[in-house]
Amino acid sequence: MAAFSRDLPCPSRRTWLRALIFVFGACVASAAPSQDYPSRPIRIIVPFPAGGTADLLARQIGQTMSEALRQQVVIENRTGAGGNIGADLAAKSKPDGYTLLMGTVSTHAINPNLYPKMPYDPVKDFAPVTMVARMPNLLVVHPSVPANNVAELIALAKARPGALAFASAGNGTTQHLAGELFKKMAGVDMIHVPYKGNAPAVTDLVGGQVQVMFDNIPISLQQVRAGKLRALAVTGPARSPVLPELPTLAEAALPGYSIISWFGLYAPSGTSPQIIERLNREANKALATAHIRRRLTDQGIELAGGTPGQFADFMRAELVKWGKIVRESGARVE
Amino acid sequence: MELLANLQLGFDVALTLQNVLYCFLGVFLGTLIGVLPGIGPVATIAMLLPATFALPPVSALIMLAGIYYGAQYGGSTTAILVNLPGEASSVVTCLDGYAMAQQGRAGPALAVAALGSFFAGTVATLILVMFAPPLAEVAFKFGPAEYFSLMVLGLIAAIVLAHGSLINAIAMILLGLLLGLIGADTNTGQFRFTFGLPQLADGIGFVVVAMGLFGFSEIIANIERRARREVVMAKITSLFPTREDLKASWKAVLRGTAIGALLGILPGGGATLGSFAAYTLEKKVAKDPSRFGKGAIEGVAGPESANNAGAQTSFIPLLTLGIPANAVMALMVGAMTIHGITPGPQVMTERPELFWGMIASMWIGNLLLVVLNLPLIGIWVKLLSVPYRILYPAILLFSCIGVYSLNNSAIDVALALAFGFLGYLFIKLDCEPAPLLLGFVLGPMMEENLRRALLLSRGDPTVFVTRPLSLALLVVAAALLVIVVVPAVRRKREEAFQE
Repeated sequence: MAAFSRDLPCPSRRTWLRALIFVFGACVASAAPSQDYPSRPIRIIVPFPAGGTADLLARQIGQTMSEALRQQVVIENRTGAGGNIGADLAAKSKPDGYTLLMGTVSTHAINPNLYPKMPYDPVKDFAPVTMVARMPNLLVVHPSVPANNVAELIALAKARPGALAFASAGNGTTQHLAGELFKKMAGVDMIHVPYKGNAPAVTDLVGGQVQVMFDNIPISLQQVRAGKLRALAVTGPARSPVLPELPTLAEAALPGYSIISWFGLYAPSGTSPQIIERLNREANKALATAHIRRRLTDQGIELAGGTPGQFADFMRAELVKWGKIVRESGARVE
Repeated sequence: MELLANLQLGFDVALTLQNVLYCFLGVFLGTLIGVLPGIGPVATIAMLLPATFALPPVSALIMLAGIYYGAQYGGSTTAILVNLPGEASSVVTCLDGYAMAQQGRAGPALAVAALGSFFAGTVATLILVMFAPPLAEVAFKFGPAEYFSLMVLGLIAAIVLAHGSLINAIAMILLGLLLGLIGADTNTGQFRFTFGLPQLADGIGFVVVAMGLFGFSEIIANIERRARREVVMAKITSLFPTREDLKASWKAVLRGTAIGALLGILPGGGATLGSFAAYTLEKKVAKDPSRFGKGAIEGVAGPESANNAGAQTSFIPLLTLGIPANAVMALMVGAMTIHGITPGPQVMTERPELFWGMIASMWIGNLLLVVLNLPLIGIWVKLLSVPYRILYPAILLFSCIGVYSLNNSAIDVALALAFGFLGYLFIKLDCEPAPLLLGFVLGPMMEENLRRALLLSRGDPTVFVTRPLSLALLVVAAALLVIVVVPAVRRKREEAFQE
């Protein structure tokens, strides 16, 4: 019970007064030097709905960081436009270290290549803090599909062009683009069937309405373990620790194939280097100690970490790579 | 016998002092946020997620689930008292519930809603216990073609919802369909009617439209009819339903429970359809359908039972498959993950104490809700005697906070106000907003599934009649259409002859 009385305070008159002072104080203090940082709560904008992987990561890290920084870390879900709304909000926020963004492969690598009009620039408008986590996608098929490995799937798709359908969580998602890249590199034809998010897509895959999916690993993994789906390969550059016997697509049949989904912490560009350094240090500590580290790993999510520079380099490479994939896939959002 | 053993395990877990306490805390919070217009279970559960870190997983999930179905109870309260539907499922409750409140019968309406919900919750929990795994398979039988046919059935049922002119109802449904088109098209990624605003890229939220069309418009309309407001307060009669009320409602409760439980299993629109379908059914089987919309108690009992039954059975896909059926269930997945439980088909066998404990807690939670809510009815009804000039600005304020909290978006608040004025226009034009809302909810799903079904059939439209489930749904839809249209046509002809 103690945990709750702390989180659900009963507002007395004095608390209101304090809140009021706090708001005024916040306005005045925004120009304060960085050695006082942080002197008020920090918000992390998550551009995706509560309960998703990006949200879980932000809440986990936020919790641990808030203990080290001795300030509240508030998670704010600002969904919409494939993550662009939340990312844009962060880009246009004051670069004082009190607004951060849990960016993803979508907001900082795919969307800039997909949307003809972007409200923000993924490189110029942001100061990378650290990479947070990455996960491969999983190539899964319905058990009725007569293919036990990638080569057999390619042979099947070649023998019956257009007969197989692959589900995705929507246009321009990693699930969609991973499928398009597969089609291109294997020289096969499959029909793309977009859904609104992962859950309905996996439901139809398990129900056998569609045959193939390049799903984010956490949901499909459970269906694979229960024997409801058959996993053929992971899409990443290396095998996944949760399914070590499963080859990568590159090993199995398509050398050079590599797709991962990733998550990273950003601040608006112009944030002072001292603050970025502090945040990077705390985030890395949080990533190392987060008490759900093992639980996330069990689901195929690998916690990352590293320096802002490493993250910036990684992101630039990803922007180029996805630019090519998006162009070749013909995927569009307008 | 295995069933009894499972149940015993469940109650052993759920009945520990700690878990009963968290269950109570959950349903209490749920009732509270349900009563506050617009503030939904999604925002609440998201905020409480970190607070559950320190709890044992079973207690945490019991509490979070309690918030969800507790909100279903609470949601009907504002719908009945002030015509503000907090979520999709309470829209239909507004129709007759608010009419009853205006006649001074808010007490019986609230009581029947609570009792109906309790009964539905009990039955749905039993269904969960006995049939959860086989029922989960039903979700898989429902492909895009079946969903499309179900939506067709739902839209035709929407016409039955209206009690005014048939033409008006159809016009409102079409307007709802159009509003539903706003946003990015799932199939092609094209933006439709977004006017370049990224805030519209994912469409307009349901609560935004419902809050504006029902709640805000009613507040505007009330300002011009001062006399009637005072009448409402003058004749609050008894707080509890009469013997006739109960006699009229018990069958509606049974039917609502059955429909709600069935539709709740379907991911996506299932739970929403439940209350709409229950209302339509009640209106169709009633001896005098013209009473509906004017305070028919069956119109409260049926849908309220349906939505609570659906709230319970919507846990089936989550608990048995690890696939979330809606935004709240997606959050539950997140909660499970935080607590080291990997949601999936194995939860039932690997963590039986969690699976059965949660189910048993739902029954306890429903019992707690009735005990909590029946005495509250008196207080809620008293609330109506707060002077209008104080009560309604407060409601308006809470509604705006609620709408804002959905997505932390100020544009949503502005949109809700715009829909408020539109709703006022509809009141003046004698057009009912309920069919519009149903069109708004079902339209996008119908289009999405139509195109998906055709994509999967490689463009062959016969898929809708060659798949047996889909065919059955379409046949029912056609039959319903005949039932609705024939009397209307006949009446028109009679009118024509008389002239």
